Amino acid sequence: MTVTWDRCIRLKEPLKTKPFLVFAALAVVGLLLGAYRELLGLGYVTGLNDGYSWGLFKNWNVTALTALGSGGYAVAVFAWIFNVKRFHPIMRTAVLTSLLGYGTGMLALGFDVGRPWNFVWLADPRTWNHYSVLWEVAVCMTSYFLLALDVENMPPFLEKMYRSGDPTKKERAMKIFNFMQKTFPFGIALAFVLPSMHQSSLGQLMYLAGPRVHPLWQTPLLGLLYLLMAYILGFTCVLLTLALSAYAWNLGWDSETMERLAQIMAWTITVWLVVRYADLAYRGALGYILRFDRFSIFFLVEELLIIVPTVLLFSKANRKAPGKLFRLTFLVCIGGLMYRFTPTTLAFSPLGDYRYFPSTFEILMSIGFTALAVAVFLYAVKTFAILPAAKGQIAAEEAMRPFDTL
Amino acid sequence: MDVNRREILKVLMGGSAVAAATMTSAPLASAGDSKEFELEPDAVGLMYDATKCIGCRACMPACQNANGLKPDVGGSGGLYMQPDTLNAHTKNLIKLYTAADGHERSFMKQQCMHCVDPACVSGCPMKALHKEPHGVVGWDPVLCIGCRYCQVACPFNIPKFEWDTINPKIVKCELCRHIVGKTVSQPACTQVCPTHAVVYGKRSDLLAEAHRRIKENPGFYFEDRVYGETEAGGTQCLVLSHVDYSNLGLPKLGNESPAAKSRQVSEFVYRGFLTPLVVYGGIVAIVRNRWKEHLKHAGTEGGEVHGEEKRA
Repeated sequence: MTVTWDRCIRLKEPLKTKPFLVFAALAVVGLLLGAYRELLGLGYVTGLNDGYSWGLFKNWNVTALTALGSGGYAVAVFAWIFNVKRFHPIMRTAVLTSLLGYGTGMLALGFDVGRPWNFVWLADPRTWNHYSVLWEVAVCMTSYFLLALDVENMPPFLEKMYRSGDPTKKERAMKIFNFMQKTFPFGIALAFVLPSMHQSSLGQLMYLAGPRVHPLWQTPLLGLLYLLMAYILGFTCVLLTLALSAYAWNLGWDSETMERLAQIMAWTITVWLVVRYADLAYRGALGYILRFDRFSIFFLVEELLIIVPTVLLFSKANRKAPGKLFRLTFLVCIGGLMYRFTPTTLAFSPLGDYRYFPSTFEILMSIGFTALAVAVFLYAVKTFAILPAAKGQIAAEEAMRPFDTL
Repeated sequence: MDVNRREILKVLMGGSAVAAATMTSAPLASAGDSKEFELEPDAVGLMYDATKCIGCRACMPACQNANGLKPDVGGSGGLYMQPDTLNAHTKNLIKLYTAADGHERSFMKQQCMHCVDPACVSGCPMKALHKEPHGVVGWDPVLCIGCRYCQVACPFNIPKFEWDTINPKIVKCELCRHIVGKTVSQPACTQVCPTHAVVYGKRSDLLAEAHRRIKENPGFYFEDRVYGETEAGGTQCLVLSHVDYSNLGLPKLGNESPAAKSRQVSEFVYRGFLTPLVVYGGIVAIVRNRWKEHLKHAGTEGGEVHGEEKRA
């Protein structure tokens, strides 16, 4: 049934469902293994070595999955800068997925760094190496998380405070909210500039590795391609989250909104493809595509996963059919994640004889971090008015004025 | 959608106009020109002449002792030091290369090359890896966060990490900077080398000596060239051998330092910090209008107001 999502609702569902318990359990396992790693050292829980010193945590949970967490950024650009008004009711879902994507990415990073206690020196500007792309990522990602994502996710909390009935809490909520309203454009601009910087820098990181990244991926344009892919994956994440939520909790199907999201995504992919192939041609690297060695096969799989669904997504009929839209977006998502992951690991060849495959503990931890994000998402949509719905939807609560203007 | 597409184009064009303006306002300065990354006149280094090395490996225990490293006895069943690669206990390693036909052989001393413009120093977020006086690449445990970007960045795959401890360090040759000039006059490896296959000195002197040897023995050294003179922007440790350097684990690298290339790309995009500031300003201007419009829209549609309070 096609509806128009025009409000945000809190689900009228019990929290402790089976899926929630499964995800929570996986998260607990991941965190316990994290504690184990803190007690023993990285070598005991990961398959990392001196050749492949970056593995699942950095390359998957941070480099790949924070791109998936760029939904808040990507959708906000279209909601606020290109003025697509339909996207306002899905903004709460989008910024929540971003908060969780980045939050668990940074958690993984915390377990990955070997000497985390030295992070305190970030407070002293004399230690900053502003030539370092990684320094840029660290500072910029932390600022985005603290200054932009947290603020963007505030309205549902304030709403909750306001509804608590306690007059002092009510007053405080309004005070914070009024301040947010005044400074909102500055915050949104920050939520645009900061991810633009660190999502491109995540790609630029690998440029320093030079010829050890295969020529099908290594390019001075890694930054631009990574940034565009962050948009694309951000869209896939919001689309998939909304589709699954609509299916799981009968939110109806806002065909117009979903179709529009997919259309913008398809155009963004087209831009990405033009840059990708123009760059390959300019660098004379097209010849590597059909060598059918392992790099060529990774490349072909990645490109097919992205190109085939994109072509199909240019048909309006496909975008209007919920099942097709979901499946095509899912394929783009896998292909896009592959693109973000490959240069760091699959197409990275260190000098010397090194092999890397993540250890079981490492995989369980990586899954645990993502499961934590899902569990918190399930908690959030049943505690706050987050998910979009149409008029008449059965809900515990609806978002209220003025909090739903943000 | 058509309206939106036109708007997208408008905004994109505005953005590129801003970018073009900022790009022409600042000449494309190469960030690699910065003094910090130039060869110091009194830079020191090593010169390793593989044709003089007899493979006695005396430099290896000397290095372990001078640096307080545990001997790596794993490969020998606990009898004697036998690391097969540089690792968290080994900063210096003599290896033997034998060609597939068995005729061509050369030893190789594997260790930090002390690049003039090191990728590890450029990549290190916290200045833990840094250039010491005389261009020695040092590591500072107080600043290192253990991110291991140096391992990803180093074109020679030199920095090693202590994987089996919760207080892990980055292990790599620091040219015995903790003792040279204090208790001793040269690093442990050059001190003990019986054939002077590896010698310590000012890089300019070492380079002159290397060229003298090449001139005296034309056609003897590989391509009549010193590895490290120009590779990756130049290294302070120089290698001479009669076999192809790429067989000795010294990759074929361009003359430009990867660090300088990376900085150039960043500088091209960031223009100091001008680009982010200009974009930020532009976005604030756009969103401010949208925001006013949005509030007006939300306030007037009375029928859609939920909850108790209406916007004033």
